Amino acid sequence: MSPRFLPNEQSTRIAVAFARQAAKAGGAALCSGCMDVLAVSGVGVAVMSHHHAEHLCTTSPAIAALEEVQFTSGAGPSHDAFRDGRPVDVPRLRQGGASRWPSFMELAGEHGIEAVFAFPLESHGARVGVLTLYQRQPGDLSRNQQSDCVALADVLTETILMMQDRTPTEGLAAPLEDAVAYRAELYQASGMIAVQLRIPASEAMLRIRAHAFAAGLAVAIIASEIVAGRLRMTDDRDPHRDGR
Amino acid sequence: MAPTIHPEGDRSALTATAFVEIVDTLVGDFDVIDLLTSLTSRCVELLDVSAAGILLADDRRRLRVVGASTEQIGLLELFQIQNDEGPCLDCFRTGRMVASHELAGVTPWPAFARESVLAGYPSVCAIPLRLKDLVLGCLNLFMAEPAPLAPLDVALARALADVASIAIVQDQATRAAAIREGQLQHALDSRIAIEQAKGMLAESAQVDMDRAFTMLRTYARSNSCGLTGVALALVTGELDVDLVSGQQQG
Repeated sequence: MSPRFLPNEQSTRIAVAFARQAAKAGGAALCSGCMDVLAVSGVGVAVMSHHHAEHLCTTSPAIAALEEVQFTSGAGPSHDAFRDGRPVDVPRLRQGGASRWPSFMELAGEHGIEAVFAFPLESHGARVGVLTLYQRQPGDLSRNQQSDCVALADVLTETILMMQDRTPTEGLAAPLEDAVAYRAELYQASGMIAVQLRIPASEAMLRIRAHAFAAGLAVAIIASEIVAGRLRMTDDRDPHRDGR
Repeated sequence: MAPTIHPEGDRSALTATAFVEIVDTLVGDFDVIDLLTSLTSRCVELLDVSAAGILLADDRRRLRVVGASTEQIGLLELFQIQNDEGPCLDCFRTGRMVASHELAGVTPWPAFARESVLAGYPSVCAIPLRLKDLVLGCLNLFMAEPAPLAPLDVALARALADVASIAIVQDQATRAAAIREGQLQHALDSRIAIEQAKGMLAESAQVDMDRAFTMLRTYARSNSCGLTGVALALVTGELDVDLVSGQQQG
């Protein structure tokens, strides 16, 4: 895709007009809107900072799980698209990506996802998140789908920024607040594990994810066990445990 | 018509260089003030003018001097702003080119005309920096001879002003986007940090999440700092978790 130094003025105007409306609707409406326009199997929109990622919306629980695994493991097409600030196209998942994103690949296989396309949500160099499309059939996006994605990415970026613009300072926009509240236990659990293991909270998140993976359970269940005090990780790190 | 002092070959090479310089700034990171200052020097090299200055409107639509080929021109520009009269101000208000080569005679701006003639510039030309209907500021050209600027020079100056306008708008949009992105990311990180900090305090003091949140809030209040500030400091390790939970238990 060629870089867009100066966006087409008309499309920017349309994007801003739509974003103004979309910012009033909840997060969930955004994803279903994208799915309708693009005619793909699933869509996820995530808002990201350099430290955190939050799903603004996903079109199904399977897509939510696919986004989740990328952000907790720090590996996957959406994650890469945000980090590198450029689209990541994987039209045939089975023929590549397996080595780069093992956890993501395994889950994608389970859910019958054959192709993934991730677009960074950017405006004038400011990156706010990622739009990810999931397909049950392998193959490239059509030319129309590609140009629609570029236009949608503009609308979504403006929508997300506008949601936050409408929120008083220090607060978080309502749809984003909902997204964080939904995962509040996971963050609380990571804070608890950080104290238990005397490690940074970001690393604690990875430990929880690893524990869930090893136990074959959802991250949310592990987090809930930790918050309830039924699961502790203090012993995991004690280097003298085996020696004593 | 004033004679052109540059051989045409030199001039076209210089013109190309000037445009390339401006267009280059659109691609990567650039300092818009740097660009505009260099634009004033390019005007003096390329056009049959003795000096040049640039005024740009700030977010409250007040003009500010951002670039000048000499200190003296900077002062002359400032003089117009302070006295609220001069060709640059008229140019900015109307969005049209304003020129006068008879500053020694009767003009709508007597105070400015007197200063300009004293400084050695009896002729002036103000060209708007604009994108569509939005006037961003103006480019002012000062001539040592009491003659108007040649039409070819005017055309070239307008083209330079137009390209510079695109660079200015691009710069403003980039800055605005960066600010909005920063606010969003800060809000997201802060909100998440509060949950993480609650978890840290709950574990450290062996209390539930509601009690942990009360601890966080009490510490923030008694130390006159914000809730998110305390939460972020706990998460990054700048603030010891035992200090927050311990203070309130003991």
